[in-house]
Amino acid sequence: MAHNFRNDVAIDWCPGCGDFGILNALQQALGELNLGVNDVAIISGIGCSGKTPHYVNAAGAHTLHGRSIPYATGVKLSNPNLKVVVTGGDGDLMSIGAGHFVGEGRRNSGLTVILYDNEVYGLTKGQAAPTMELGNKTKSLTKPNMFGKVNPIALALTTGYTFVARGFSFDGKQLKDLIKRGISHEGSSLIDVLQPCPTYNNINTMEFYRKKVYKLEDDASWNPVVNAGDKDGASKLAMALARAQEWDDHIPTGVFYENNTIPSFPKRISQGAHEYLESPPAVQAVADRNGYTLVDPEATFTDKILKPVS
Amino acid sequence: MSDLDVGIVIGGPQGGGIDTSANMIVRAFALAGLEVFSVREFHSNIKGRHSYVHIRARDSVVRSLRYPVDILVALDPDTLFEHYSDVSSGSLVIYDSQFESSDLAQARMIMRDTQRHIAEHLEKHNQPKTIKGVLEVMKEAGAKLVPVPFDLTLVEVVKDGPTTRYFNTFGAAITMSISGIDRESMEEAIKLVFGNKENVVKTNLAVVGKAYEYCESNRLVGRKIEKTRRKPRYIITGNDGAAIGKTMGGLRFQTYYPITPASDESTILEEHEDLKWLTTEGDDLAKGGVVVVQTEDEISAIAMASGAALTGARSSTATSGPGFALMAEAISFAGMDEIPIVITFYQRGGPSTGLPTRNGQSDLLFALHTGHGEFPRIVISSGDVEETIYDSMNALNYAHKYQLPVIHLIDKNLANTTELVEKIDPRKVKLFVQRIEPKNEGFKRFNIDTKNGISNFGVFGKNLFWLTGDEHDELGHVTEDPAMRDIQMEKRFRKIEFASREIPLEEKVMVFGPKKADVTIITWGSQKGLVLDAMETLKSAGINANMLYLKMFEPFPSEFVAEFLSTAKTVVDLESNMTGQAAQVIKANTGINIENYILKYNGRHITEDEVVNGVKSILSGKEKKVVLTNGA
Repeated sequence: MAHNFRNDVAIDWCPGCGDFGILNALQQALGELNLGVNDVAIISGIGCSGKTPHYVNAAGAHTLHGRSIPYATGVKLSNPNLKVVVTGGDGDLMSIGAGHFVGEGRRNSGLTVILYDNEVYGLTKGQAAPTMELGNKTKSLTKPNMFGKVNPIALALTTGYTFVARGFSFDGKQLKDLIKRGISHEGSSLIDVLQPCPTYNNINTMEFYRKKVYKLEDDASWNPVVNAGDKDGASKLAMALARAQEWDDHIPTGVFYENNTIPSFPKRISQGAHEYLESPPAVQAVADRNGYTLVDPEATFTDKILKPVS
Repeated sequence: MSDLDVGIVIGGPQGGGIDTSANMIVRAFALAGLEVFSVREFHSNIKGRHSYVHIRARDSVVRSLRYPVDILVALDPDTLFEHYSDVSSGSLVIYDSQFESSDLAQARMIMRDTQRHIAEHLEKHNQPKTIKGVLEVMKEAGAKLVPVPFDLTLVEVVKDGPTTRYFNTFGAAITMSISGIDRESMEEAIKLVFGNKENVVKTNLAVVGKAYEYCESNRLVGRKIEKTRRKPRYIITGNDGAAIGKTMGGLRFQTYYPITPASDESTILEEHEDLKWLTTEGDDLAKGGVVVVQTEDEISAIAMASGAALTGARSSTATSGPGFALMAEAISFAGMDEIPIVITFYQRGGPSTGLPTRNGQSDLLFALHTGHGEFPRIVISSGDVEETIYDSMNALNYAHKYQLPVIHLIDKNLANTTELVEKIDPRKVKLFVQRIEPKNEGFKRFNIDTKNGISNFGVFGKNLFWLTGDEHDELGHVTEDPAMRDIQMEKRFRKIEFASREIPLEEKVMVFGPKKADVTIITWGSQKGLVLDAMETLKSAGINANMLYLKMFEPFPSEFVAEFLSTAKTVVDLESNMTGQAAQVIKANTGINIENYILKYNGRHITEDEVVNGVKSILSGKEKKVVLTNGA
């Protein structure tokens, strides 16, 4: 029987929060992928999004503000058999953790990064997050937002994420499908999820998004996937970047870009360390049955031994 | 065996092969059967600024350096300017005769302050501010000048570019000849240093030949050292030792962000990622290698290593002061969530960027107190290259046994010290092995029914549990319940009490020398060997000294230290910092106030003569605090 990824921990998000939609979609996706309880790890940072791991019946780490990606990468690279999902807020991933977000694009470790994008810092009472529009004044701001906004889709595309998509927390089915595709994708994926913060963001509400979102996949000619042998990789990336600029009247959701030709970081490691995928760090023995080291210092560090050549 | 005890400084521009020449010298001495010890000193610079290696070789064990040196080898004029005070009566000064036309004003790679000090010194001696001037100063001090036509001699054998590229080999070979080392040992050293680069070996051997010929016809041949064939020995630095020890200690995942003097360790691990295995009980066990990941910053390094630890992999990171500062939050998280993680902390001169390539021991209190909130940790320190090996194994053991962050301090001086190590015993440290039972429903990662505070260890992939930086319940879910908070806090701290009881005393503190002594020197880190050598020198001067050598600062062996110091006569604290941090730790833990200090914070390695003179000065009642200033 498929594992039930729901648990009985009391959820303390505000009523109407977009987080519920993300949590449901994630739990469904994990279930539909038929993953077992020990196949998955959910890693988060701080904030409302950071609470997600506790609400999923799978191993989870609710780590430091901004640092979910490096913790998750450590889990993934020492045990590449695990499906590792990052749940992070816009402040978490696009501000304090922006450097790690970029670093992960370069690595392409195979994380599924779900960005809870509600344009505010909810848990600290509604400050502007990096995805908020310049000049917006949500109700808890003392004056209009003085910062320009970061574009998570464009950032992911230009830093190396090989699966880049956007969902909407009130379109559960599409979001679940995107998460499933992200988790199944070998490299790293970003799923930017538009969601309201009913308590602090009175501009980007559910209604605001409902009126504007459209689905890229509704256009039958939209094909964002790059596979081995395809010669249009660069133009697909350019196409995705162009779509990433759309916002004011029409906000695209769905898959912007999927590139299956760039090796994941575990693959890159295994090119030098041939036993890596079979015996990653997590499963290696460190001692023999008597408790002594398995490593032969003389044979491993033979270049450090002084022996006459002739 | 001879009674050789030779001290050498070889210097030149960074990027001019100084390291390589030191490698040749050290190997040639070792191949001739001697004991060798050397330390690198260099600027934070890629090319051009002054760098040097200080080497000492003798037939008995050598653990320290001293001034004045017997041979100063200058591969550029700057070396003569920088080291004029390192020589005295009988020292030989070897340099290219062409340097004699150089002027201090042209030496633009010498730091402005240093230039000023040199100029003042030359003025005091009524000498011109030129190489001729410093040579006169050295002559006045009793040194013998040995100008050698480097370029003119080399031009005959070097056909592939400027002769300056071979100054390092030439200088090294002349040094070896003067030290009485046979040409064969030097040639073997060349082959070892350059490996299978055939053409490079060929030219360098020709250069060695030229050097030995020149020395013979100019009577620059030392008393011949009788060559003793030794069993192969490891020739390794503190960086090497830590890397070797970590792999033996089960390390399989290392992260790092480039920083001096820590990143060498990670590079060494990368070079040896393909581990070789002993044929033991366990041939069938899963083996692979060590994964080394260069991260985007140090925060990522500690977080990634911690993430790896959650899967059961033995993991660590290595950094230096500025990087360690960035890791503070994640170290607190590792304390809170009982993550077994080792941080190898290479200390350099602070504060801030400080002296990025120089020595320092000013991060002890930082290591002890880093991270917000209260959580248990273990802080250990290594004092010589051999210790870095077994301490690194122990560090991983402690981390896993007590499920906490372990901070392993190594100072820059030790990181860059080259020593000969007879053998490495893979059975010296037994590894603590976690047994992980697959369990999901009801698994309590932070169970509180534990006498020693140690809960069930679990790993992602085999166990269902949660972690949070928040205070948590036994499953790992957030709690703010006041009673559970107290229970979890107290549980975590029981582990350190347990560790304190369980870890053998010799892993925490050692006493060297007689039980009763005229003077007790307290020290830690790379001064260990230095004090051992100084104790012998003091003894021959009629002063009985012993050493209280500290290795573990948390948990601290308070009882033993208090008892030992209660009967000590004159107590001197010797450290490479300004505020006597180890003495502060002693005071905090025992209430004992240390009154005498020998301190050095100019970033340069302490030398044996400095310790001996410092101790004598304190014993004579002249001063209570001696600040050491040697070194270029």
